[in-house]
Amino acid sequence: MNYESDIEYCYQIKQATFCKYVLITPSKEVQLTFPQMLELRRKIYDLTTFNTLNEIINTDNFVLLFVADKQHLIYLDIPQLLKLKEEIELFFLDFNPVLV
Amino acid sequence: MNAVVRKQMSIHPDVMDLLNNQIAMEMKASASYLAMASWCDQRELLNSKDFFYKQAEEEREHAMKIFTFINDNGGAAVSPNVTNVNNDFESLRAVYETGLEQEIAVTESIFKIFKTARKQDDYITEVFLQWFITEQSEEEDTFRSILDVFDLMEGMPLKMIDERFPKE
Ligand SMILES: [Fe+2]
Ligand SMILES: [Fe+2]
Repeated sequence: MNYESDIEYCYQIKQATFCKYVLITPSKEVQLTFPQMLELRRKIYDLTTFNTLNEIINTDNFVLLFVADKQHLIYLDIPQLLKLKEEIELFFLDFNPVLV
Repeated sequence: MNAVVRKQMSIHPDVMDLLNNQIAMEMKASASYLAMASWCDQRELLNSKDFFYKQAEEEREHAMKIFTFINDNGGAAVSPNVTNVNNDFESLRAVYETGLEQEIAVTESIFKIFKTARKQDDYITEVFLQWFITEQSEEEDTFRSILDVFDLMEGMPLKMIDERFPKE
């Protein structure tokens, strides 16, 4: 099974400049500002609660999601959705306030 | 990358999520107090009605305080859904008891955010929440005092009890 490694390359988040981020999808690269990034985080967290995941699996088995202030529509199946959640969690991990 | 996130937002992302939940809780409390105000208003319980209208406004102010705090610190405040507001009560005493229960739940929720902020070294939120902790202890005290009046005046007509409540 090498689907894990395929997913690896599906959705990634990179930092472009100080306040620009890039969401790399299989078909395109989407530029995100920090507020757009927070909104993506919120949506992905909402979609990956136990109940919502269950609902998705029992219906379409995929989600369509607007990102970057509705400028882009992305397609996510369940593994991609979970992978993107991990990617976002990683991105926000280790928040260390800087002591000035 | 972490340092960059830090520069964009000065509160911890997990704490931000809890604060957004708290906004929803305060707005729900506001809606709930509005229902209580209406119940009292319809029954000419003048002091109680004033009390709950005022509570409804205060809870909205609390929500707004947290709302602007999140955005001022680079986070994303979320306007919440408010559903399942109860408009049905069995007695005036039950109205106040529900109010006290609600306040205790809010206090516990604030403590939970405070603890998380501490654990995550989010000093900004920790200091911000101190006002809420003081506020909650006062709120709980207000409700407990009113429930004491019920105990003292058991068996008296409702309107007489209502007239004994402290006016704002
Ligand atoms: Fe409150
Ligand atoms: Fe309150």
